[in-house]
Amino acid sequence: MFAGIDIGSLTAQAVLLEDGNVTLSKSISVRPNPVESARAVMGQLLEENNLSWGDIGYCVSTGYGREKIQGKGMAQENVSEISCHGLGALSLVPQVRTVIDIGGQDAKVIRVDGAGELVDFVMNDKCAAGTGRFLEVMCRTLGVALEDLGPMSQGARGHIHLSSRCSIYAETEVLHYLQRGVDMASLAAGINRSMAHRVIALVRRVGVEKEVLMSGGVAKNVAVRAELEKMMNVKMVTPRLDPQLVGAFGAAVMARKASGAA
Amino acid sequence: MITMGIDIGSLLSKVVIMDGDSLISSGIVDTTGNIAGEIDGLVASVLSDAGIGRDKLEGAAGTGSGAELLENVDFREDEVTCVGTAAGYLLPEISMAVDIGGQSITAILLDAEGEVINFMRNDKCASGSGRFLEVMSGAVGIGVDAIDETAAGAKKPVHISSQCGVFAESEVISHVNAGEDAADIVAGLCEAVANIVAAQARKFGAEEKYTLTGGVARIDTISKVISGKLGGTFFPFPHDPRLASAIGAALLAGME
Repeated sequence: MFAGIDIGSLTAQAVLLEDGNVTLSKSISVRPNPVESARAVMGQLLEENNLSWGDIGYCVSTGYGREKIQGKGMAQENVSEISCHGLGALSLVPQVRTVIDIGGQDAKVIRVDGAGELVDFVMNDKCAAGTGRFLEVMCRTLGVALEDLGPMSQGARGHIHLSSRCSIYAETEVLHYLQRGVDMASLAAGINRSMAHRVIALVRRVGVEKEVLMSGGVAKNVAVRAELEKMMNVKMVTPRLDPQLVGAFGAAVMARKASGAA
Repeated sequence: MITMGIDIGSLLSKVVIMDGDSLISSGIVDTTGNIAGEIDGLVASVLSDAGIGRDKLEGAAGTGSGAELLENVDFREDEVTCVGTAAGYLLPEISMAVDIGGQSITAILLDAEGEVINFMRNDKCASGSGRFLEVMSGAVGIGVDAIDETAAGAKKPVHISSQCGVFAESEVISHVNAGEDAADIVAGLCEAVANIVAAQARKFGAEEKYTLTGGVARIDTISKVISGKLGGTFFPFPHDPRLASAIGAALLAGME
C-alpha cells in the first residue's frame, strides 16, 4: 500500500492507496505538533481497517513538519505541499491546469502542465485575508459554524460591502453591521464575496488556465466557490474526493511513483 | 491667540485648547457612534478646565477620520498635515514624525521649516497599529495601559514572527498556553510592534532626528525599541503623544 500524510494548520489527513485508487482516508483535528498529528491520523486510519504501519510500502509526508515526520520514520520521503496538491489534482482530473488551494492559514494558486510539472505558483501565508482564518474570524464574530457560512448566504437578497481587506478591521465592520440589525444572509454573502475577492487577486497573479480545481477546506464553502467561478468566468471541476484530502492523495500518488510501481 | 483643535480618531477623540504654542488644557474620550454628542461634552469640559469661555476662542480646526461630522469648526485639515505641523513646530530640530494611531502607521517627512514634504501610510492592515496592540495585549489578558508595567519584568522576550494581527494573536495565545511568562510575551509583542513601525519609518531612509506620536508612542517599552532600531536621535513629543494631531489642528487654526 502507498500512503500520504498531509498536516495542515487545523486538520491532518492520511490517505492509503491500493491500485491507484483512494481506498482509505481519514481526517482529524491537529494535535499539538505535526509528528503527533501524523502518528494519530495514520494510526487511527490503520487501526480502523485492521492494518498496521508494516502494511505501508512507501509513504510521503507533506505540509507542516513534513521533514520531522520523515525523520521519525513514518514516511520515506517528504515533498512540498505545492507539488502534492498539483499532482493530487492532476491525478484526480487529468485536464486540471490550475489548482486553487485555500487552507486554514495560507492560500496558494498552482499552475501545472499536462505532465504534472509545476509551471508557476503564488502563495500568501503572511496575511490572514484570503485564507481560511479570515472565514474563521468572521464566523466567530457572527457566532455561526464554519460549515454553515456557505449555505447561509445562498438565499441572500443583498450583501454587505466590506471595505477592509484586513481581517481585524473587517471584524469591526461586521460588528457594526450586526449592531445595525443587518440580516445574517446578507452578512454571510458579503463575507464570502470578500473572501473570493482576496483569492481572485492571488489567482490573477499567475493567471487561470482550464481546468480549475479547488482544494483545501475553503473549497467546501459553496458560496465562495460560486463567487470565484463568476469572477473567473470558469466553471470549476469537482473532484471525486473531499477537497481537503487532495494534498494527502497527491502525497500517496507521489509515494507510488517513488516506489517504482506502475 | 486662543485656539481649539479637535481630532476624531478611529479609537479616541481628543480636544485641546492652545494659547499660541502652549497647551492650556486637553481631554480624551473613546470615539463612539455618537460623535456630535460626545464632542460637545468634551469641548465644554476642556474649556471649563482652561477657564475660558467659548466666546474667547479665536479659531478652531478639526481633523481625524471623523472630522467631517464636526460642526462649529472654522475648517478641517488632514491628520498628516496636523501631526506634521505639531511635530515640526514644537520640535524644530526633527525631520521625521512617525505617527502610530489606532488604525494606521504614518511616517511623515518634514523640511527644515517644519513643512510636510512627503508621507507614507499604512491604514489597510492592522499590523503594528494601536488596534493590533489592543488585540495582542487582550490575548495576554492585560490592558494596553498595563503594557509597560508588565514588560518591565521580562527576562527573555518571546519571538513573534507574524506581521498579520490574526496570525500574531494565535502566536501570542500559543505562548500563553505554553505557560510562558506574561512579561516575556508582552516584551516580545512590543518588540514585534517596534519592528513593524521601524520598517515603515525606514522606507524613507535613515532620518537622524525624529519624534513618535499617536497612542502607541505613549508606551515607553515600544518607543525605546523603535529608537534603538532607527538609531539617530529620538525627540520625545513634549505632550501626551496622542494629542499631536489635535495640537497641530489648534496651531493651524492660529495661523489662518
